[in-house]
Amino acid sequence: MNQLQSLPDVQLTEDDPGANGERISLEQSEAALSVLEADQLVAAKQRTRFGRRKLSLSAKVLLWGLRIYVVVMFGIVLMSVLHALHTGH
Amino acid sequence: MDHPQDNPETVRRRPADASIELARVAVAERDLTDLLTHEDIDRAQDRWKVATARVEGKRVMPFGGLRVLWLLVGPGILVFLGENDAPSMLSYAATGSRFGVGFFVPFIVLTFLMGFIVQEMTVRLGAVAHRGHAELIFDRFGPFWGFFTMADLVLGNFLTLVTEFIGVRAGLSFFGIPPSVAIGGTLIVVAAAITTGRYWTWERITMGLAIFNVLFVPAALLAHPAWAQVGHALLHWTPLPQGSKSDILFLILADIGATVTPWMLFFQQSTVVDKGLQPRDLSAGRLDTLLGALLASVFAIAAVLATVPLFHHGIRAGEFQAAQFAQALEPWIGHAGSALFALGIFEAGIVAAIAISTSSAYAFGEVLHTGHSLNRPLREAWPFYSILLGSACLAAGLVLIPNAPLEFIILMVNVIAVLAMPPALTLLLLLVNDDEVMGNYANGRWANVAGVAVTVLLVCAGLGYGLATVFPRLLGG
Repeated sequence: MNQLQSLPDVQLTEDDPGANGERISLEQSEAALSVLEADQLVAAKQRTRFGRRKLSLSAKVLLWGLRIYVVVMFGIVLMSVLHALHTGH
Repeated sequence: MDHPQDNPETVRRRPADASIELARVAVAERDLTDLLTHEDIDRAQDRWKVATARVEGKRVMPFGGLRVLWLLVGPGILVFLGENDAPSMLSYAATGSRFGVGFFVPFIVLTFLMGFIVQEMTVRLGAVAHRGHAELIFDRFGPFWGFFTMADLVLGNFLTLVTEFIGVRAGLSFFGIPPSVAIGGTLIVVAAAITTGRYWTWERITMGLAIFNVLFVPAALLAHPAWAQVGHALLHWTPLPQGSKSDILFLILADIGATVTPWMLFFQQSTVVDKGLQPRDLSAGRLDTLLGALLASVFAIAAVLATVPLFHHGIRAGEFQAAQFAQALEPWIGHAGSALFALGIFEAGIVAAIAISTSSAYAFGEVLHTGHSLNRPLREAWPFYSILLGSACLAAGLVLIPNAPLEFIILMVNVIAVLAMPPALTLLLLLVNDDEVMGNYANGRWANVAGVAVTVLLVCAGLGYGLATVFPRLLGG
């Protein structure tokens, strides 16, 4: 077996499945796992979640402030567009 | 020790540690084949190509890295060329025809710089966390803030999708193609791109279409731009725009909204995850994003330059749609030039229709925890594909309704995108500074300074527009 190069997490050889462009099959699970990070697997993502983060008071105030900003600004845009349509401008 | 499966909602350790543990357990149980899905295999196939290209690339220096780069580019180019969409190109065209060459040329470059700063963070988030933007927001901040964000995204995406189909219809109307044929054809292209069941194929088809954004460059060249004036404007930001402050602020907001919008955050992070980028690919991911921003800024400035003749000849084009712009330009850039302009608007609409409907589908899939990958076959991820195609069909249908308020939607879409951006950016900054998610890849000081500066600038632009609209005399009319 001709060793091409040692990558940090992949021992790739010319004889490895997929090394010459062929499709990796489900029967070659180890080959697929060797190139994916563990938390890239669909099963890993389904079984693990990031937990809820507690927002600080300042972050909550900022998010609420920006939410109010969005609602007020949307109202202004709506008014100005209705005005523009009404005046035919 | 708790097993991750025992209580998935409360796992708060770094996901990498948790899932490495999971993978170890799986290996120990010899159930690898059960563990892997079609999506994993397709992604592994793409990663394998990258790994082999990296190995082979070291043999053929100095150009060996080009194949690696070719394999890793995509999300960045797509997000920026996708955002050079029909309403954006019409905003640039309105800018050129209204104000000529001046302040807005360097301003557009600045907006793309802002876009790069923001999008680079989504590349890092996607490559490190391997989770989409909507999923991370719901998981980390809970459904309350998640639903607000999704409401902004759904409203913005739907209105923008409608404008893409308006662009498609208007662009092709220049060639006498009936609206139903133009809209139906676009839906077929969207469907064809996603039914490959392979992220890689979808990405390359969409990139192939997106590169036709370059059509604005020959259109601009046919307008014979005054290059010295362009150079002067880029260096000095002059001449400043003259006229109604409210109109100027509206165009400033529209031009920002043509570059920095919420759907871009969701789209690029999800495509980075779907493509399978890893932390070691971050340099390529940044280069991809920079390349996208550079290409898109060149094409955006080309759209401005193409319409400058309208400014010089005093033709008011503020409310022009695509076909009207193309027709109005014909005396100065010729039939070929105006045909290129109309084709460019059509292309911008079709690429953005694909990108934006995909962004909506990713976000819904992430929030509902159903399959949300273009690597999944149709039968396996039908809700994902249904949302993708359904949103496109709904928007397309609205465009075909006689007397629908389309002008209303065009006027609002880019401005709404800018106004919805500060909360989205704040959540992005919180996520990208979250050590539990990002570990060593969390934002540094300068990235935070740049991110906060972009957010403050967007809030100020929005407030300025609001003040000028409510109190028109405050800024001098």
